[in-house]
Amino acid sequence: MKKSTVFRYLFLAIFNSFVVYSIPLTITFESWFLLSLILLISLLVNIVYFSDRFLPMKWILPGMIFLISFVVFPAVYNTFVSFTNWSTGHILTKSQVVNILESRTFTPEDQQGIEFDLYVFQDTNLEFYYLADIDDQNILFGKAVTFENINDSNFAVHEPSLIQNGDIIPPSGFNLLTGKDQIANSTTLQELSLVIDENTRAQLFKISVFGASTGLLSSTSQLYTFDESSDSITNNSTNTICMAEVDNFVCDGEEIDPGWRVFVGFDNYQKLFSNQRIRGPLSLVTKWTFQFAFVTVLLAFSVGLFLSLVLNKENLKFQRIYRAIFILPYAIPAFVSVLVWKGLLNPDYGVINTWLSPLYEMLEIEPIQWLKTKESARSAVLLVNTWLGFPYMFLITTGALQSIPKNLIEAARVDGASSLQTFWRIVFPLLMVSISPLLIGSFAFNFNNFTLIFLLSGGGPPVIGSEVAVGWTDILISFSYKLAISGGRGNLFGLASTVSIIIFALVLLISAISFRYTKRLERIYGNI
Amino acid sequence: MEISKFNNWFKEFGWRHLVALIFVVFAIYPILYVLTNSFADFANLTNSKLIPDSLTLKHYKLLSGNPLVPYSDWLYNTYKISIIAAFFNVFLGTLAAYAFSRLQFKGRRASLLTLVIVQMFPSFLAFVAIYLLFFQISDVIPIMGLGTHFGLILVYLGGSIGFNSWLIKGFMDTISPSLDEAAKVDGASEFQIFSKIIAPLTRPILIVIFVITFIGIYSDYILAAIFLKDKNLWTVAVGINTVFVDDFNADWGVIAASSVIAATPIAMLFIFFQKQITGGLTAGSVKG
Repeated sequence: MKKSTVFRYLFLAIFNSFVVYSIPLTITFESWFLLSLILLISLLVNIVYFSDRFLPMKWILPGMIFLISFVVFPAVYNTFVSFTNWSTGHILTKSQVVNILESRTFTPEDQQGIEFDLYVFQDTNLEFYYLADIDDQNILFGKAVTFENINDSNFAVHEPSLIQNGDIIPPSGFNLLTGKDQIANSTTLQELSLVIDENTRAQLFKISVFGASTGLLSSTSQLYTFDESSDSITNNSTNTICMAEVDNFVCDGEEIDPGWRVFVGFDNYQKLFSNQRIRGPLSLVTKWTFQFAFVTVLLAFSVGLFLSLVLNKENLKFQRIYRAIFILPYAIPAFVSVLVWKGLLNPDYGVINTWLSPLYEMLEIEPIQWLKTKESARSAVLLVNTWLGFPYMFLITTGALQSIPKNLIEAARVDGASSLQTFWRIVFPLLMVSISPLLIGSFAFNFNNFTLIFLLSGGGPPVIGSEVAVGWTDILISFSYKLAISGGRGNLFGLASTVSIIIFALVLLISAISFRYTKRLERIYGNI
Repeated sequence: MEISKFNNWFKEFGWRHLVALIFVVFAIYPILYVLTNSFADFANLTNSKLIPDSLTLKHYKLLSGNPLVPYSDWLYNTYKISIIAAFFNVFLGTLAAYAFSRLQFKGRRASLLTLVIVQMFPSFLAFVAIYLLFFQISDVIPIMGLGTHFGLILVYLGGSIGFNSWLIKGFMDTISPSLDEAAKVDGASEFQIFSKIIAPLTRPILIVIFVITFIGIYSDYILAAIFLKDKNLWTVAVGINTVFVDDFNADWGVIAASSVIAATPIAMLFIFFQKQITGGLTAGSVKG
């Protein structure tokens, strides 16, 4: 066999054992989407690499696995999530919720508060043992265990021989702890209990320095029992039956936490478009997203074009130095620039308000509270993004200007056109031919410019009185992020992914327009 | 006479210098400000100024060995993640590009087109699904789950591999096919043609794409912020934007120093590769 064949089968063996290992786990955790992803990938890998056909796929597949798993698949999954109620309190599947509820316990009233003498022993390994003198029939001795180990430990046994005429006789190898010793170990002892039967345990309640310490019996029973046939749970403490409603068990009109995740159809979409208290923020955010993306491209483009026109002059000195400096803001990672600008814009200490203070005094107005009011936050976002974006526009317009034939401009001049006329009638239209696809690209980029918005203003200042967390500078993607991750009102994954679907649709629309407008598709096609 | 000469010069050149200088100040002021402030010996943002009275390295020293701001860990994490992810991104992208450029097969055009269309949607748009997907992966395969660098690198791999293979393929097309045909006649295998002929000739563009991908991953905030919860595992982008949010005034010196450390290598890379990067970006955008 060839070396490469051996290598191939070795790889497939490792890969498939990994798949076989993970499949039962995904079933245990009921991660059906993950399971289908793993099955899809393993199917592709096995088909392509087991056979001797599909040679091109052997080259393409490794990269495509990642593209499928972490770009295409999440987009599909995102759509799925947008049709569910997936959110804090509805994270788990129904059977997981039943498991959690069935493991909850309570102490029945008739078993609360029985007190008795409790003695603490320590063996040579310094492990603790309890002796509970409950009554003559129950002188129970056993190892004291922490709460996590209760299920694995043995039940305490009746050992009447340990108490003779009221005196405690420690078994050999065990050491009876005095009250003082118990106090010294009290933090450890608090965590320990003696397991009497499945539902009952004894704990140290009060330590006594003179005489025996007091133990307390705490008995626990299963709080909820699930009945599959009627799809309900019974509360054993109050003896009420709780029926399964859409995504919660409901007892006497009260929902039991946690609920489970479930398909809700178009509920999230309906909420976004018809619930007044969510529709309001959404339309506000959508409007600002378009405004922001448009104005920021316009500003950066204007500054960039203006500068490249200014520098587009033969024999102008220092041209290279100017160009080199204009590119600098573009060279710095945005997450750094934004942090620095946040410092400069600080209303109390920042250098921008220091600069503007003579102006404030002259006009007798209060200093601008940058990022803290709607208008100042929006202006700040636009200002900073102009700084971040104009170098790119400067670069591309400079390139485009230089590629416009000189004789065209000269011809216009000869025909008596003024320089303004030449610019607007000849230079600008020619410029737009090559620049407009880039402007649309820049629009699409800023449409989702999360880093700028989230790091500079956090989307703030908050819109007061809104049901969901939203601010005046939030764009759709940061709005979605707040809903899902950081809004402080739980994780509304379902609603957030619905907003993401809206973004997908809008990006698709923008791309379609740009394709139509620039016939880019054909060019790509031609290049293939 | 002198005045009219100056007027002429001003009309022709002078105003251009004036405008250029104004924007030079606009462009460079924040950069210079943070650069000088990172070495400046004053306590906080209130009494910061462009030209400090005296210089110190104390802000940089505060960044090393401070358990509250494990900056060196963040730097290490960022470089580790960005280099590994960018490397495999380019490597796997090159393999795919080779098939698209050199092998004839059914559905070649359609799959290339799909690649480009898929990558028009930034991968972070589906961040909710990515989060939930990795939340489940945490149960099944903890080492690549939420909160791990491994998982984050996997996500970054998907992020631009399609676009990169498309760019690389475009470059490979410019390499004359007569080279590999000659090699084929001499009995070279497909893999030998790739590794001995095509890959070495493609190296210049591979380096550029590596640098672009590296810078992109280095600068990412949203995915890293979703993924990494443990302070010691953060990247620089997450770290400095999470730790320094409450007290800009007192932290200003350290903020400046950490900004300088985070930005300098990237800025230098960018300036060094400026022609290729902007050329690539523009060409990429114009063509698709």
